[in-house]
Amino acid sequence: MNDLGTALVFWPTAAIMLATGVYVFRTASMARAGLLLLASLAVEGLIFLALASEFLGTLQLLMMSGEMVLMVFFMVMFMPDPGGLMGMDMTHDKRRAQGAAVAVGLALALLAVLTDWPAGTIDSDAVDVRAIGFEVMGRSMFTFLFAGMTLMFTMIGATLLAKQGGRHGVGPPAGELRDADGEGG
Amino acid sequence: MSVATPFAIVGVAAVGGFLVAWLERLVAGRPSPVPVLRSIAVTLARPIATPPTYDRWLFHLAPSLLLLAGLVALSTVPWAPGFRGIDMESGVILFAGAIAYVTPAVFMAGWGAGGGLSVVGGFRFLALMIAYAMPIAMVLTAVGAPAESLRPTAIVEIQESVPMAIVQPLAVVLFVPAVMAVALLPPFDIAQAPSELGGGAFARYGGLEAGIIALAQRVLVLAVAGMTAALFLGGWYGPLLPPALWMALKTAGVVALMLWAGRRLPRFEIDRLVSFAWKVPIPLSILAIAWGGLVTLLFYR
Repeated sequence: MNDLGTALVFWPTAAIMLATGVYVFRTASMARAGLLLLASLAVEGLIFLALASEFLGTLQLLMMSGEMVLMVFFMVMFMPDPGGLMGMDMTHDKRRAQGAAVAVGLALALLAVLTDWPAGTIDSDAVDVRAIGFEVMGRSMFTFLFAGMTLMFTMIGATLLAKQGGRHGVGPPAGELRDADGEGG
Repeated sequence: MSVATPFAIVGVAAVGGFLVAWLERLVAGRPSPVPVLRSIAVTLARPIATPPTYDRWLFHLAPSLLLLAGLVALSTVPWAPGFRGIDMESGVILFAGAIAYVTPAVFMAGWGAGGGLSVVGGFRFLALMIAYAMPIAMVLTAVGAPAESLRPTAIVEIQESVPMAIVQPLAVVLFVPAVMAVALLPPFDIAQAPSELGGGAFARYGGLEAGIIALAQRVLVLAVAGMTAALFLGGWYGPLLPPALWMALKTAGVVALMLWAGRRLPRFEIDRLVSFAWKVPIPLSILAIAWGGLVTLLFYR
């Protein structure tokens, strides 16, 4: 794609990405919040594609769908008000959080604009590509695997603990008294 | 990719969608295509439904998202040398990425409709897909290994002598049921489950939107069957007949097999289906990746 085409795709999609990102926090519905976040991240995938970063773009589209759908699943399952019909407010310590978010956002935007990014592309058989491959599949792989396993155990553990009767799978929920004959009430 | 490509894909989707609907009747032993046309006319004549309690945005966006997912998946299928929609280096990932958006679409439809059974249908599909998306992505990696590429045309080209289904039988056994689940085909159609949820996630749609959903489902069937034919059955390779015809025949064969299996097997229960998916196909697909690497090192280097 030429520069004009890239710009025509980039700016509208970037605007949509930011707008959907803002609306994630404007809605009280768990389903809407999760799906808006998915929309925001999927549009980011389109930006990658527009910038000719093919693998990252398609991978972003694939992974974000899976992850956000998983998040919606857990949010609807665990939240007391998944439809947002009771007007529950999920935010705490608003003033300071907003201040920090705006400051970090501005700092990152400035960093992105002011950095002197290297221009030009390199071949797929360049030394740099090889080095990145060895880094990702070598030393960094242990970190990735460890993070992945930790996340997975956290999810399974949280689900088990949230299950009625706790991790043993039987009896009444924690905190409730048993009947005289030992059965759950 | 040229200006005409999107039109060609929509054309293939429209014609192919009708043919899949006709094939459904053929498999059922009722060969006349007239009722298909009549049901299209009846559906489109009805007004768009607006159920009393629903999430308007999610409800009305879901059909379009479903159709878009189907069309993008369809555009990654290599039909013949020089005739494919999007031919990119990571085309197989784009295919997996496109069908991954069926899940949010079905959930949006079910949640947006706001009826008890619709929400259950959408939520069931969500649970099913979290389990079944994994084998699809892992099997695609295994199939890409011999070609040393994730470009669908490259994977077809290494199958000139031996189809991948013979080299990697485990991969095809894992792939076909998983993509049938994505395409909402029986016996995995627990999101709609006509006899049990009465239409489930899609029960409350009417008119044009119901038509879009019906078309999107057929497009998805066509896309996953086409990808199965391309990745496992040698794509357009075959004696005597022209390449495009071979590909069409193989795709039609896969569609017929999927539809036939749906008619022969009872619908599975959601809890058994999900528990089975986590315990059997996911570990087996790790084995499939190892097998893919092994045959690549032994026979394709």
